[in-house]
Amino acid sequence: MSIRLQLLIVALTTLVLPWAGCQYAKELETALRSSQEQSLLASAATIANALSAQPQRVFHDPDDTQAFSAGAGDLYVYPLVTQPLLDGYRQDWDVPAEPTPLPTTTGYRARLQAGSTEGFLYLFIEVADSHFDAEPNNVQPDTDRFDRVNLALDGPNGREAYFFGTDAPGLIAAQSVVKGEDGVDRAVAEPRIQAFWLQTAAGYHLEARIPLSFVGRHLWVEALDGRGKGRAGFAADSAAGGRLFFATAGLDSLLETFIGDGTRATVIDANALKLGTAGTVVSKKRGETEESEPIWYRYFLGVDTSDMPMLSMSPDHLSGESVSSALNGHPHAQWVLRGSHRELLLTAAAPIVIDGHLHGAVVLQQAADQLLALRDRALSRLFNLTLIATAAAVITMFAFATWLSLRIGRLRDAADSAVGSDGRIQLSMPESASADEIGALSRGFERLLARLNEHAQYLRTLGGKLSHELRTPLTIVRSSLDNLESEGLRDDQRRYITRAREGTQRLQSILSALGAAARVEESIKQSDRVNFDLRELLISALAAYRDGFPGTRFVLHTPEDPCFARGAPDLMVQLLDKLIENAVDFCPPDGTVTVRLERVQANYCLQITNDGPLIPEALMGRLFESLFEQRQGDDDKPHFGLGLYIVRLIAEFHGGTAVASNRDDGSGVVFSIMLPLI
Amino acid sequence: MIQLMKKQIAIVEDEPALRENYAAALARHGYSIKTYGNRRTAMQAFSTRLPDLAIIDISLEDEAEGGFDLCRDLRALSAELPIIFLTARDSELDAVSGLRLGADDFLTKDVSLPHLAARVAALFRRIDALRRPDNAAEIVRRGALSIDGEKMQTTWNGTPVTLSLTEFWIVHALAKNPGHVKNRQQLMDAANVVLDDNTITSHIKRVRRKFQQVDAAFDAIQTVYGMGYRWVE
Repeated sequence: MSIRLQLLIVALTTLVLPWAGCQYAKELETALRSSQEQSLLASAATIANALSAQPQRVFHDPDDTQAFSAGAGDLYVYPLVTQPLLDGYRQDWDVPAEPTPLPTTTGYRARLQAGSTEGFLYLFIEVADSHFDAEPNNVQPDTDRFDRVNLALDGPNGREAYFFGTDAPGLIAAQSVVKGEDGVDRAVAEPRIQAFWLQTAAGYHLEARIPLSFVGRHLWVEALDGRGKGRAGFAADSAAGGRLFFATAGLDSLLETFIGDGTRATVIDANALKLGTAGTVVSKKRGETEESEPIWYRYFLGVDTSDMPMLSMSPDHLSGESVSSALNGHPHAQWVLRGSHRELLLTAAAPIVIDGHLHGAVVLQQAADQLLALRDRALSRLFNLTLIATAAAVITMFAFATWLSLRIGRLRDAADSAVGSDGRIQLSMPESASADEIGALSRGFERLLARLNEHAQYLRTLGGKLSHELRTPLTIVRSSLDNLESEGLRDDQRRYITRAREGTQRLQSILSALGAAARVEESIKQSDRVNFDLRELLISALAAYRDGFPGTRFVLHTPEDPCFARGAPDLMVQLLDKLIENAVDFCPPDGTVTVRLERVQANYCLQITNDGPLIPEALMGRLFESLFEQRQGDDDKPHFGLGLYIVRLIAEFHGGTAVASNRDDGSGVVFSIMLPLI
Repeated sequence: MIQLMKKQIAIVEDEPALRENYAAALARHGYSIKTYGNRRTAMQAFSTRLPDLAIIDISLEDEAEGGFDLCRDLRALSAELPIIFLTARDSELDAVSGLRLGADDFLTKDVSLPHLAARVAALFRRIDALRRPDNAAEIVRRGALSIDGEKMQTTWNGTPVTLSLTEFWIVHALAKNPGHVKNRQQLMDAANVVLDDNTITSHIKRVRRKFQQVDAAFDAIQTVYGMGYRWVE
């Protein structure tokens, strides 16, 4: 992992700042939320107390404490916002709830819904009836069979019974049965109760409008099939049930006076049915500002809402933990989620207790937006600042790391190339003037290189020195042997003398090899440059090599015309000697050594190739260094790694270069000498 | 007075073992040997009596180039005294300096004792020949070159060319068989010396330069690359 990446990761730890901010924000939100719970609960309790002082304005019938029972025919009357059209459709009622199925024992299916507005009670009855049985003319209501809906009302004048039936669907009036003077029951239209009979594919809809003055505490509805015995609903004589539960008139406006912007108050009775509602949870004022500024990081700040219940959206009653708790007499606040956007909503419920009896509850709902807005305002600055700080830190770190790795990279490059392919050592390193650790490292490198250089210098001169210093003792040995020999020796003594002499000869050749580079350097200093024909030199030298190395085949390719170069031909022959010796050493027994001279642009290219083993890639650049030797000497010739160094010295004397490479097809090794044309 | 007949050789060499070895070897060949360890004692002795031949090491004790100074002083005392430099150093510069100071030969210590003795004998022979009347039979002529094998003298177009003993033997070997390539080994054998290739090359170079000082157009010694040299007329 690069330093840049490492420091970048370190820099990312500054992200802990916004994270800490988030944690703080969450704590703040929790605190704010709990205080909102307290204040909303207090409001709910206040409103409940106020309402319990005037029960007649809250409850339709404050004394009725019997529980609501849909099974017994109890009916909740939805408060309608606008007066619906009598058209057999209930879409314009704007009541999200489905009608309530009426009980049946015959499988005859009918559903009922009630609503109320502006002095009228509306009924909507939906009957599944595959066949329309029309009401006959001069109907005998008790005996004639036709599709009908019976309606019984507990009116101010006692119980009244009506029925709806028609021979032609459309706008109709309710009919009541009146016993005529002739003693025969007759149907008489009641024009004040109007209805619309709509025939549908599945049956019919009946939408009826009844003035509230007709309506008392109870109401029964029963649908009867014109054929067969199908019926659904409640007969008028059912003892229990049939009670109507109205939203209390005027309660909405009364509640309106209690609440402020952004809060919805709902009063429910002991059955959790809604009696009145006022206000809305969405503040109009803040709704606008919020949309103009979507606060994306709320996602990071948000309190975990996954375990919060969804708000029940039933139109006729409220439910939920806080509602049921309040209806048990205990005020309670709870956070719920609303709608598909999962907005947070605070619900607080307080019981309404009249004379020690629980009659209902006040439920207040408030969006958490107020909290969020407060928190967001405080935190958006904090959050933005820490983000900017983090970004700045990351960028600074990155730039710093880049600078650092650039410097280290420079140092590394310099260290890599400090020892050149020619073995020369570059002593000065970059960054060494810096006062920091990289500078210290660079200076350390410089010291190391200086010592390496001293060592290399020493090695380079060691051969010459050794061959010089050992020469005198060797001469003493040899001259002593010479003297000894002329003393007239016995044969066995002569044998030892011969061995000693062979030993000194070997020592001599070793010393001579060791001093070879020094001698070539010496003679390079002394050499004069002349123009000579490289081609002629090669031809005559190759003739000598053919004699000298009979086991090896030599092939020579040269241009046809003379190839003049400037330099010292004797040195050039020495260069050739070293390369040919080297090639012959490595060439397999029946291999070929090829010498090729070509003109390549402004240079002569002299190539000496052999079929020997390839040079490992790693050694390629080091072959021409002084005292570099990879040969495992199994012959008796000493190798000190000076031959190719001498080649380089001579090539450089001629203004050229020496390069070793492997043949492209891997069949052998090529030594190339580039010499400038003249 | 056999004792008086003996040629006296002075050996100035600071390495005692070597000094004694040389002395012993040359004594065996019938010379009278005086040995000196440094320039001071040698010069003291030479000022009272000159030897017949001096063999001098270049570096003498603490004087790195004491041999050169000694040679200069000796040459001032006698122009004809044969002087051989014998040294562990083999640099070209030393050889050139030594020969320029008037040494007759410049040998590295690689030389074997028999070879040294042969050289000493050759130098004495040359001195003897110089004292005798000319002996035309020993003179080899090759065009402009004439070589007196007895006196070991060389002339080019009648002008003497001063060669060291080694150089003389090399020229002699080449000129005796013009056109024949002599390789380095053959030249070394002829010169009674063991030299490496470089030294042969520099000897040839020096010989050419000496002839060119007499005749700038001199081109009689030809290099046969990889093989050796030959004399062309």
